[in-house]
Amino acid sequence: MTSITTADLSADSPLAPPVRARRRARATGRRIPLGVYLYGGLAGVLVLLGIIGPWVAGNVTSGNLSERLLGMGAGGHLLGTDGQGRDVVARLIAGARPSMISALLPVAVSGLLGSGLGIAAGMASGWLHSLIMRILDVFYAFPAVLLAIAIAAALGPGTTTTVIALSVVLIPPIARVAETETMRLHGMDFMEAAHASGASTLRIAGRQVLPNVMPALLVYATSLIGLALVFAGGMSFLGLGVAPPHPEWGQMINEQRQNMYTAPMTALIPAIVIFAASLIFNQLGDALRDLLDIRRSTR
Amino acid sequence: MTRFLARRLLYAVPVLLGVSIIVFLTVKIIPGDPVATLAGINSTDAQKAALRHSLGLDKNIVVQFWTWLTHALEGNLGTSIAQHRPTAGLVMSAFGNTLILAAYAMILAVVLGMLLGGVAALKPRSIIGRVCSAISSISVSAPQYSVALLFIIFISLGTGAFPVSGMHGTGGGGVGDLLWHGFLPALTSALVPAGMIGRVFRASLLDALGMDFVEALRARGLSTNRILFHAVHNTLPSLLTMAGLQVGYLLGGVVFVETIFSWPGLGELLFNSISSRDLPVIQAGVLVSAAAFVLVNIVVDSAHALIDSRVRNT
Repeated sequence: MTSITTADLSADSPLAPPVRARRRARATGRRIPLGVYLYGGLAGVLVLLGIIGPWVAGNVTSGNLSERLLGMGAGGHLLGTDGQGRDVVARLIAGARPSMISALLPVAVSGLLGSGLGIAAGMASGWLHSLIMRILDVFYAFPAVLLAIAIAAALGPGTTTTVIALSVVLIPPIARVAETETMRLHGMDFMEAAHASGASTLRIAGRQVLPNVMPALLVYATSLIGLALVFAGGMSFLGLGVAPPHPEWGQMINEQRQNMYTAPMTALIPAIVIFAASLIFNQLGDALRDLLDIRRSTR
Repeated sequence: MTRFLARRLLYAVPVLLGVSIIVFLTVKIIPGDPVATLAGINSTDAQKAALRHSLGLDKNIVVQFWTWLTHALEGNLGTSIAQHRPTAGLVMSAFGNTLILAAYAMILAVVLGMLLGGVAALKPRSIIGRVCSAISSISVSAPQYSVALLFIIFISLGTGAFPVSGMHGTGGGGVGDLLWHGFLPALTSALVPAGMIGRVFRASLLDALGMDFVEALRARGLSTNRILFHAVHNTLPSLLTMAGLQVGYLLGGVVFVETIFSWPGLGELLFNSISSRDLPVIQAGVLVSAAAFVLVNIVVDSAHALIDSRVRNT
């Protein structure tokens, strides 16, 4: 309780399943909740958009200035055009790739590094465990967005920068979850058995610890995607992401903010898209966590 | 309690040292040679070496860090590249305004969160309870920049009820004017923390209401309100933890909120410094924010220890 933690990240830890889960578990048994399919499908659509987006969107970097700030549906533009006369739908579709990359890649990178670090800390002896955890505490002392900004501002703008900055920010919370999950295993029968059979630490980490901490880590990582998406949008809002004229959702908001009074929709649409995308990934994370809680309590 | 506080303060020293090391290192990861950039393309090697020496960059990195740290502790955080003024002054004057906004947002977040979570916990099956639950879980996904635009377009411009930008009306104004100008920025910042607090409050209130002591109180014939008071008292530790965590979110989120609402705080300063690549200001701002967050954590832990003797004695 006395340790320092960061705000935005560790907000809902997948640990300590609520008591009510047990009661619900009996009713639903092992059925996979509808939410997993629903939000999983929607998240899949977003990822697909990230893959094919730039190929299907056509020309999104230059527009016809005589067609600037058209309303929705005008001139064959479904969501209208922006301040430079470019089609908003096309830019949203093309912008999906940098947005998805800078949300998913940091989670993947920090998922790998963070869980490695956390499992190592959880299995290590006293001083090494303390050393790793105290170093993580230092990262927790930063408001996460500001740490990402400090790193990205030094490295200069770009998608790579965003990925690096967000990965650094996301490693500590993932490592902490991995450490807690690993510590839970200490003293369990199968761990004792593995030690007694003379297996090496590395082998125990791979064969016993990893499969047992994996579900919780995957669920936690999923719940971080929404956050990473919001952070990534924020970074490009600040001009630390993709350079114009190439579109990215957060950057579209900042770029079109100047037209807020004359054509509010041009800035509002990408803002709503990021909101919706982060909602989808967060709901998927919640649905997966419920599933994990059910699994745990029926085991 | 004194021992607890002393130990907690002592523990903050290595953390703050680590924080300053990381902030110091962000300058070192800048690609390219800063001396070559500063000296210009036509500079000779001798000129570069002289500049390197005068900036102290020819020294060992540990020595460089020590020099930087002692300067920082004396309140010297370098000079702004864009504004040619001491960074510390710029950052501190802006940080005051940020603290006003953050405190305002925190109050809104706690009130809103307890309202949402409380209704959701007490009326779990009614429509209003479900709506409160849904609002909590939707609001935690809301990016500040999206919410800020939604509020400006639909509330400020739509109804004219609240000002779009700034801290004060023309010609100043009192506390009321400040609260009026700050309402939308604070509400924007407060939305995610409110959702988080709402979720935690709902879960821990449900937990508390299911505990044996509630049954005992009921058996003693206490009124529903009195029982609720005891149950809420039982949720305070988890509420406090969550509220403390959210301070970090508020201090980071001001970059977006202040920029969009033109609130003259640290966030807006950082935004402008990013576009002019004014790294000393960015570093100082991040350092001050992190130090403030560490301080808030100490306060939260101490409050924790005050209400819970188990924490105090660990």
